[in-house]
Amino acid sequence: MDPSSSGIQEPFDLIRLSLSERVFVKLRGDRELTGVLHAYDGHMNLILSDVEETIMIVDPIEGGMDGQGTVKVAKRKMEMLFVRGDGVILVSPPSRT
Amino acid sequence: MDESTPPPPDIDAYTPPPPPSASTGTPTDFLKGVVGKKVIVRLTSGVDYRGVLSCLDGYMNIALEQTEEHVNGVVTNRYGDAFIRGNNVLYISAAEPL
Repeated sequence: MDPSSSGIQEPFDLIRLSLSERVFVKLRGDRELTGVLHAYDGHMNLILSDVEETIMIVDPIEGGMDGQGTVKVAKRKMEMLFVRGDGVILVSPPSRT
Repeated sequence: MDESTPPPPDIDAYTPPPPPSASTGTPTDFLKGVVGKKVIVRLTSGVDYRGVLSCLDGYMNIALEQTEEHVNGVVTNRYGDAFIRGNNVLYISAAEPL
């Protein structure tokens, strides 16, 4: 067993160990979520509760360089949320240290 | 022209190609080789994740440790652990000698 892998044999183990924990989820469309993970499946469909969504809204400056522009951040809260798996880019569990 | 045709190759003189070195193999061999090593995972969006590859599966879902998120060469986030959904992955690059 590789000592660096700390008991994880497949990527979904990371998610399984995060059930009932607050997780960070990065989504397509410059959106991020934090919420308590209640359930997931092989598509990475997620059920989260006590969710805060953060939406980065970029207004591109006319003639500006790529990646520049004013960024507005909108937040909203939801009690319970189903996330369709195909929108998920990254899930980060709370630190296990 | 007719007198200058080269002799047919001597079958006995044929030397087989050298056995594969550590730097060859299938893509799967490469992936097995980089588990536990520092890697750079680039997503199709252009965002890079640098960290220690803990494991991956057949969808190329990836579990990374000590992960840094790089956007345009700038560290924008750090995660102790990160699960990356495989469909977003463009490539996995070894960031240390294998």
